[in-house]
Amino acid sequence: MTWSDGFSLAFHGMISNKLRAVLTMLGVIIGVAAVIVLVAIGQGAASIVSSRIETLGTNVIFVSPAAGTPFPMSETGIIAHALPFSVQVVPEMNTGGKVSTLSTEGTAQIAGTTSSYLRLGGISVAAGHFITPQEVSSAQHVAVLGANQALNLFGGQNPVGSSIMIMGQQFQVIGALNAVGQGPGASQDNEIFIPITSAQPLFGTTQLSQMIVKTSSPSQANLAADYLTNLYTNELGSSSAVNVASEDQVLQTLQATRATFTNLLAGTAAIALVVGGIGIMNIMLVSVTERTREIGIRRALGATREDILLQFLLESMIMSLSGGLIGVVAGLGIMNLIPLILKTPAVFSPSALILAFVFSTAVGLIFGLYPAIKASGLDPIHALRYDG
Amino acid sequence: MIQITNVIKDYTLASQVYRVLNGITFTIPEGMLAAIVGPSGSGKTTLLNILGGLDSPTAGEYLLNGRDVSHFDPDEWAHERNHTIGFVFQSFQLIPSLSARDNVALPLVYRGVPARIRRIQADEGLERVGLGHRKHHRPAQLSGGQQQRVAIARALVGDPPVLLADEPTGNLDHATGLEILEILRQLSEQGKTVVIVTHSAEVAQVCRQVIEVQDGHIVTNTLEMEQKV
Ligand SMILES: Nc1ncnc2c1ncn2[C@@H]1O[C@H](COP(=O)(O)OP(=O)(O)O)[C@@H](O)[C@H]1O
Ligand SMILES: [Mg+2]
Repeated sequence: MTWSDGFSLAFHGMISNKLRAVLTMLGVIIGVAAVIVLVAIGQGAASIVSSRIETLGTNVIFVSPAAGTPFPMSETGIIAHALPFSVQVVPEMNTGGKVSTLSTEGTAQIAGTTSSYLRLGGISVAAGHFITPQEVSSAQHVAVLGANQALNLFGGQNPVGSSIMIMGQQFQVIGALNAVGQGPGASQDNEIFIPITSAQPLFGTTQLSQMIVKTSSPSQANLAADYLTNLYTNELGSSSAVNVASEDQVLQTLQATRATFTNLLAGTAAIALVVGGIGIMNIMLVSVTERTREIGIRRALGATREDILLQFLLESMIMSLSGGLIGVVAGLGIMNLIPLILKTPAVFSPSALILAFVFSTAVGLIFGLYPAIKASGLDPIHALRYDG
Repeated sequence: MIQITNVIKDYTLASQVYRVLNGITFTIPEGMLAAIVGPSGSGKTTLLNILGGLDSPTAGEYLLNGRDVSHFDPDEWAHERNHTIGFVFQSFQLIPSLSARDNVALPLVYRGVPARIRRIQADEGLERVGLGHRKHHRPAQLSGGQQQRVAIARALVGDPPVLLADEPTGNLDHATGLEILEILRQLSEQGKTVVIVTHSAEVAQVCRQVIEVQDGHIVTNTLEMEQKV
């Protein structure tokens, strides 16, 4: 039997019962879609945090509220006054959202902040200017684009002076940033900065995402972290209501979180794909039984055991791979909805795509093997006598 | 030409050994129309399956067209059936999901013949058995006689020198059975070795060589009697 005959035979076997094939594929579809979506969310979350650490330098600490802890702009002054040395306190609020020009649209991490953000270092202006104190105090609808956003929305044209829509409202582009660089920490390239005073009505909250505190040395950063931890523990009676973290701590937490997330992801994907694989194996076993007589006939007419093995193995692989393909499409669809629904960015990862394909092929192969071996091992005489 | 010597076949059921064939020896020359007859359960189907390599004997020698095939493994037999043996069964054994044309073309699939050529040869085969107008019918849309013609076309499509038929008229009415028998007789006249398992005396009468099996032994072989005379 030629390969093309083998494929066409396996394909016809699958489409001869379409509903059953789709139901069988469901496990693989869900598994693959889950891998793509979870990886995208994980990458998106990791990219926000790690980029700050990698680009803002070693003198920085992050102060962020736990869910339920009020954290308005006034905290800026409280933090500055609580420390016995002078620091720079930069407030920030973040959300993921839709952005568009007349001709293109996409998603971005929107950061509401003040003019002092630029002085944290790590970013530099490529064109135009960064947000000014005047634009903050008068809540101007102005925006500064990270390098990727400028590229995605304006395709290399100078965006300064153009209008863009951010989460449904019109903003004037006043500046564009240089690329921070490659790697997982490059997410400022995917951000759009707007005055924090315009972000508040746009996001519908006055709650800050975090405060970035810049000190003059790493040791001062550790000291400031201790001070602020004490401050909030005394004030709020709980050490967990506000999270104070120096770069070291954030890095450690981040790595731990990433490891946990990766394990969780691997576990979820493995379970979904194993369940999918068992579904395929089950249906292939049914199919072998239903087609026992057909197998006997084919053997009587000259099919070798290998021909039969190949027929059933290809069928389960095509089924699994089709499931993987549908899962990829579904996963990409869901991924694009995530910034709208969960307000977190989702970053597409080609490696997840490759992983999904490799896994779904492997599932078809592994779980199809037993039914195929069973089919190829049938005694042709018994198979011809079988009436089912 | 089919030559078997001292073929024995045992079945083990519940650790009890049953000898179904007990030292069968015969020769069926090339181009012969031969019948294997005998009461039900006498081992005719078992014998035919051994001739086609679907079953393997417990002991004995088998020369097929001069080649020793006694120790062929299942895949060597698959190749052998694909090239030198056509099978016709009592219950037709067509694949229900395939059209008449695709059923007939099946042996060619396992020879690696390209689809276009398979189609041409299958259509020719269907024409030869008078079913040129039923190419696209499924087995369920054909009468028993038509299904058996499709099965014969399938057995012949690869032009094998040997045709093995297990009660090919058993599921057909008398007139249709005679038509099928006539097709098989003509094939033997064209030089094919045709072996028919039957318990119809009328079918056996048409055959020049009649081998009668009883309790695992051959009780008569008309060809040997001829040669002795
Ligand atoms: N797989 C098997 N296991 C045990 N006994 C079998 C098997 N196949 C056939 N037999 C026995 O062998 C004998 C001959 O069967 P068969 O060749 O089908 O006879 P016939 O075709 O002459 O009616 C019967 O008694 C049958 O029960
Ligand atoms: Mg029989």
